[in-house]
Amino acid sequence: MAGGGVQRVGTIDEIGVPTRAAILDEIVAAQRRRRRWFRGQFAFVWIVLVGIVGVFLWSAGRISWEFIFTSGPYILGGAGVTILVSAVAMVMAIGLALLGALGRLSVNAIFNAVASLYVSLVRGTPLLVQIWFIFYALPQADIVLDAIPAGIIALGFNYGAYMTEIFRAGIQAVPRSQREAAQALGLPERLVFRRIVLPQAVRIVIPAIGNDFVAMIKDSALVSVIAIQELLWRATRVGRSERQLLAAIAIAAVVYWILTIIFSYFQDKLEKRMARGDR
Amino acid sequence: MRVMRHTIPLVAGILVLAACQSTGSPGASGGDGEAVCDGDTDGYLGRICEAGTIVAFTDPAYPPQSFINDETGEYEGFDVDVTNEIAARLGVEVEFTTPAFDAVIAGEWAERWDIAVGSVTITEDRKEILDFTVPYYFTPAQMTTFEESDIQSIEDFAGTTVCVGEATTYLDWIEGTLTLTPEAGDVTDPPADITATTLPTDLDCADSWRSSRRDFEGWISSSTTVAGTIADDYPIREVGDPIFFEPLAVVFDQAVEDRASLVEAVDQIVQDMHNDGTLTAMSEEWFDGLDLTKQE
Repeated sequence: MAGGGVQRVGTIDEIGVPTRAAILDEIVAAQRRRRRWFRGQFAFVWIVLVGIVGVFLWSAGRISWEFIFTSGPYILGGAGVTILVSAVAMVMAIGLALLGALGRLSVNAIFNAVASLYVSLVRGTPLLVQIWFIFYALPQADIVLDAIPAGIIALGFNYGAYMTEIFRAGIQAVPRSQREAAQALGLPERLVFRRIVLPQAVRIVIPAIGNDFVAMIKDSALVSVIAIQELLWRATRVGRSERQLLAAIAIAAVVYWILTIIFSYFQDKLEKRMARGDR
Repeated sequence: MRVMRHTIPLVAGILVLAACQSTGSPGASGGDGEAVCDGDTDGYLGRICEAGTIVAFTDPAYPPQSFINDETGEYEGFDVDVTNEIAARLGVEVEFTTPAFDAVIAGEWAERWDIAVGSVTITEDRKEILDFTVPYYFTPAQMTTFEESDIQSIEDFAGTTVCVGEATTYLDWIEGTLTLTPEAGDVTDPPADITATTLPTDLDCADSWRSSRRDFEGWISSSTTVAGTIADDYPIREVGDPIFFEPLAVVFDQAVEDRASLVEAVDQIVQDMHNDGTLTAMSEEWFDGLDLTKQE
């Protein structure tokens, strides 16, 4: 702006016009102020809204501090079972989903039919029905599973079907040119899938899987009906025993919420890391 | 063939956790005389003695019969004490499991648990799929309504909706399908056009009233449960005399073919506990000095 003028008045410093660096600093500082103001407002809204809900619960529910302090730790202890059940079921679901996706994309009619039936059947029936079925119906065929394995299998089986579709979409989303390029380089067919297609597909499906895991943490509450003493089971039993059901359920809700917040934080980090490859 | 008695191993870690989940205390030992398992045993009883553990149902949502001590995580209550005493006289440890009450009533337990001391009423229908011991105590079934309701007598419930726990005898009574055994005595007829609504457990009905819901006019539960809620300032009042008296007994699954040895042994233990005053003492401890172990 100053350069190439008709008449030279003096350097920028001499006439007190801010340097380029100073202008940039000013812009950055303004942005930071704006961001801080945004965060402040954001936090304020959250605190006010959560506070309103809390006060409402407090006045409506006869919630006693004493109950929260004496029974809270016991309820919280159920979070370990919730996490264990969800995590193991998730590992199982990922394995099933990978197999299922390969089946759904397979040109082998039998493999394809089995995978398609699995997805259709599991997605077409309620999770609660599946849990009851595995716990109460399988023993009629002399397969007696303990409560926790039965719950894990039900959840893993169910989520495996939903995630089959996610994996299938992820695999199909990898550009065909990637596969062709690998083949052109003479890579054997199996390696093409394992080394070229799968890693790229995984990156595509990670956000959806994370989303499913958050849903799984909460759906694991359903296995309380088959005597698994997870978070919600503990909350309802202690709540009924101490006649503080509403307080107990509220505690469980907060714990579920915190669990998902913690998980979402790590999921965010993972996604950012995986996104580094995108340029 | 049954695939192992209690478990199919899936992941070692899961099993460890499952094992840690709920192992009850062995309970006060019978002391006098030797335990049943010290002698010769066969059948189902023999298998339990050999395992050294009896798996017992309890639903810790029914104080004072069964509830959780949230400091120790242990189960406590009248039913829990009776369970522990039976196990002690058998000479085995107790491991509690906690499925829903309706799973007990449905039978076909698949040996997930061996015995249920869960205040189960003896009825003719249930006798077709479950085995019962002699009653270990009796409770009156009590009708209630919320404080500000207009209802004054049992007849006033005609045409109204009444809340009961799922799979309870109170539900059978409303639906006209209650078939108590002769030892229970007289049963009051349900009022005309009364309909039932169910919630998972008895106390959920009371909680529904406390949270200011008024979806139903009445609630039926055992007089002990009702008294507990009134003592805790629930907006509830009793209506009329008890509608019937329930004989409550220990139950077993008829699907287990060689169960006779276990049923007979526990039946004898319950009779002994009546005769030596153990049951009376437990009743007085948990039910505010009331002895509910005798027929009214």
